[in-house]
Amino acid sequence: MENQYDVIIIGAGVVGNAIARELSKYSIRVAVIEKELDVSMGTSSRNSGVLHSGIHYKPGTLRARLDVLGNSLMADLCNDLKVKMNYLGKLTVAQDEEEVKSLYILKEQGQANGVPDLAILDTDAMRKIQPNVGGIKALHSPSTGIICPYSLTIALAENAYANGCHFYLGHRVTALSKQGDGFDVTASGKRFQSRVLINSAGLYSADICAMLGINDYKIYPCRGEYLILDKRLDGSLKVLVYPAPHKGKAGLGIHLTNTVSGNILIGPSNEYQDDPEDYACTARIMALLRKEGHELLPDLKTADFIRSFSGLRAKQTSPGKGGFEDFVIESREDVTGFVNLVGIESPGLTSSPAIALMVKDMVAKLLTLKRKETFEGTRSGMAGYFHQLPDEQKADLVSQNPDYGEVVCRCEQITKKEVLDAISNPLGVQTINGIKYRSRAMMGRCQGGFCLPRIVQILEKEFGYNPEDFLLKSKDSQLFLGKMRQDVV
Amino acid sequence: MLKKELVCIVCPNGCQVEALIEETPALKVLEVSGCTCDKGIAWVEQEIVNPMRTIASSIVVEQGDFELVSVRTDTAIPLGKIFEVMDIIQHKRVKAPVTIGDRLIENPAGVPCHIIATRNVGVQP
Amino acid sequence: MQVIKRDLVIIGGGPAGLAAAISARKNGLKDILLIERDKILGGILNQCIHDGFGLHTFREALTGPEYAQRYIDEFHKLGIEVMLETIVLSLDNNRQISVSSKEGFVKIQAGAVILSMGCRERTAGAISLPGTRPSGVYTAGAAQNFINLQNKQIGNRVVILGSGDIGLIMARRMTLEGATVAAVFELLPTPSGLARNVQQCLNDYDIPLFLSTSVFELHGTDRLTGVTVASVDETFQMIESTKRFVPCDTLLLSVGLIPENELSLGAGVNLEATTSGATVDDTYMTSVPGIFSCGNVLHVHDLVDHVSEEAALVGQSAVRYVTQKTVRDSASIPIEAKQDVRYVLPQTVSGKTDFTVSLRVTRPMANGVVMIKDKGRKVAGKKIVRLHPAEMIRVKVKAKNIETAEKLEVSVQC
Repeated sequence: MENQYDVIIIGAGVVGNAIARELSKYSIRVAVIEKELDVSMGTSSRNSGVLHSGIHYKPGTLRARLDVLGNSLMADLCNDLKVKMNYLGKLTVAQDEEEVKSLYILKEQGQANGVPDLAILDTDAMRKIQPNVGGIKALHSPSTGIICPYSLTIALAENAYANGCHFYLGHRVTALSKQGDGFDVTASGKRFQSRVLINSAGLYSADICAMLGINDYKIYPCRGEYLILDKRLDGSLKVLVYPAPHKGKAGLGIHLTNTVSGNILIGPSNEYQDDPEDYACTARIMALLRKEGHELLPDLKTADFIRSFSGLRAKQTSPGKGGFEDFVIESREDVTGFVNLVGIESPGLTSSPAIALMVKDMVAKLLTLKRKETFEGTRSGMAGYFHQLPDEQKADLVSQNPDYGEVVCRCEQITKKEVLDAISNPLGVQTINGIKYRSRAMMGRCQGGFCLPRIVQILEKEFGYNPEDFLLKSKDSQLFLGKMRQDVV
Repeated sequence: MLKKELVCIVCPNGCQVEALIEETPALKVLEVSGCTCDKGIAWVEQEIVNPMRTIASSIVVEQGDFELVSVRTDTAIPLGKIFEVMDIIQHKRVKAPVTIGDRLIENPAGVPCHIIATRNVGVQP
Repeated sequence: MQVIKRDLVIIGGGPAGLAAAISARKNGLKDILLIERDKILGGILNQCIHDGFGLHTFREALTGPEYAQRYIDEFHKLGIEVMLETIVLSLDNNRQISVSSKEGFVKIQAGAVILSMGCRERTAGAISLPGTRPSGVYTAGAAQNFINLQNKQIGNRVVILGSGDIGLIMARRMTLEGATVAAVFELLPTPSGLARNVQQCLNDYDIPLFLSTSVFELHGTDRLTGVTVASVDETFQMIESTKRFVPCDTLLLSVGLIPENELSLGAGVNLEATTSGATVDDTYMTSVPGIFSCGNVLHVHDLVDHVSEEAALVGQSAVRYVTQKTVRDSASIPIEAKQDVRYVLPQTVSGKTDFTVSLRVTRPMANGVVMIKDKGRKVAGKKIVRLHPAEMIRVKVKAKNIETAEKLEVSVQC
């Protein structure tokens, strides 16, 4: 039967796609079912894009183990998948002796977790790494890195797809049942069967559990808002700088984060809310973030704020309790064949390759996994963007393909070739945001004011789009209502 | 007698104008103040009796290297006639090529004006 | 890599670049190259199909494409070299330019450079507009492109935030095409656009304009479903009791224009905080010798006629620089914006030739005198009946009046 699989994964976030890619190394039929029209539409694209070193997690927890392992796997993975990342390191800075003590505790905890090369630096040494940083001592964690989270998620999915994994985008799971040795899955009216079912539904993971009669879990969405700054300020931060933990201060606090694309992020905030889909930004938090930004970056100008966004953490701790619970990653004994992932909040991005390995081991106990000789783990193309290449290489590429010579997105200098590649993406995603996340066009300071009309033209003239076909991100997010003037009277 | 305040639209100066109007036996402008040019005075007199506007829009071009040709009325038309003229423009189709100044519609909706092209559109290659 | 040489390179083929190129040629320079990223010349004028351009220059009310075509025709008649569909990737302080097109990469060494790249629109992100991120939110200029150049119907029920001229023009345009424009909201107590546009674009069609009112939240997860609006007090704080929901499927933003000076910054050109454009002397040369700036990349203009006039002057200056190898006059006199003046241009003058000061006021005023003074001594002045921030004011200054000047101060006296 066409819709029959060995493994069905619910949710195409970074964790679901990492699992999909891992399982695509074996001779089994794997499918990913996702309610949105693209992968990486939830928490996976809406975060700081930080690869955490692992100093913050309690030794012995899954978060500690999977983060440190995931972090160490990331370099090779990104190299294979052509995803840009950078272990630029982090300074956790203490302002007084009390905070210095907490640095030593963090260092000890990090070492217990296996975090490499941790060092406590004095003022001179830390300023060699980040000039002008305030504080008396700092813990330097060189393995802290940055990565483009949606580029990784998309790359994992595309590589899984290239290795035979099926993707059902725009399919919302509405019913689940255990039938004999397997599962019956209904998604957007379509029926699927699988022997193993993996729940990586993130914010909806508890709802998926409930569909199978498992009522052990509850997810509390916790919103973090961010502001994105103009690339003009790229280079202001050499490393990530976080304040040392302080009694009475919860969370990691609002801070600045470099991104691999050169835009600094301010955020995130930390607000519990009920709706798992409400990605609104609020006036109150944005005002707070702007104020914070001006304090942390004296050179910041009003015109440097180019966009805001928010993401939701899938927390297991209630608003009253706060703090963190460990990841739940279990192969259920009461529902055989159900591999359940709940509460994969931070550091889920960093941990994703390690989670995939752990889940693969669980699946290996349920199914026979035989290595596929045809597996190709590398993606073609380049990490990063055309404009970042040396001039000679650019000239070469333009002479091979003139579309590299035509810049469509002037702010980010994204070429027509890169836009065409994004439009012809392997997963067949057709939304405007899909093009944006894949090419980076429309992500610059004009926010698509100039290049969206150009991209619309390309889609219409070269891909035959009708006005009604242009969707921003979801089925009902049409850009246009139709033609202003019809062709035929 | 009635006093009416207007913003002159003849040029970007946008003069704020006051007009003294007599309504009976016929609508008549008695006095205009605030205008800084003669064109403005003439405009105010016209505006009170029968406001006139130039409108701009576009017309679908068949076999053009461009989907639309932008157009305008070659002279101001009565404000009250705008939507009737728009309706004609919306339903008109022209064939490429089109040259700036080409008269694409004559006397739309019986209004004494012509719709002229305001850009060049070549034939689709 | 191929390196070519040109006496003068003009970056941007909109109204400023065209006028600068034509003026440079008419002032005797032969070796001129204009670089334009679009397929056609004319820049943003191509999508401004409404009339009202050229009243000063041609004494006619032309549409944008017609105004542009007059310059394009003259440009071609003069046989000036142009690279279309070519983007400038970088410019350095020695006037070396890297460009990219389908034909490949080229480096150009320019004797002088005129920056005429224009401006971009402020976005929802730039004003940190709260709420969701549905489709149906456009900057007014992007909407204008979709409607006038791409034949797209972008919405049925429209709200416009900001009363800039493009927003007002689009209110009329969408109404003529059958959409309902629910309202225009403006944060400031006065309209940002020209008074004539408020009259002929809003009042003519009974479209309400709410001043001291802004949009405070976007609603809708897929397509826009409406906006929350509210009035603001004198400090622009929202007045909670005035909050109301306005249903709409489209929001157009006309909340300001920002000169596109990323190339200029790369060349080390100093910018001025108020205009976001280069600081220039009375030849419109920037802080980097041989690099000039004009049009909306220098400061956002009210009328294209003023752009053309400014650009023609800059074309002439660039020719003088190339042919006479003039260096900046050492004795530069600064000009400063004072009482009720938001900015002045140029920021420094040599004092050796007559020049025109361009300025904008900070607030609407009536019966004012723009005064230019040197240590309290009047060197020029202009009486103006109505002064409005939306309108650029130009005042001529005679060189003979500032022979001994050290610093000029521009203010408004009512």
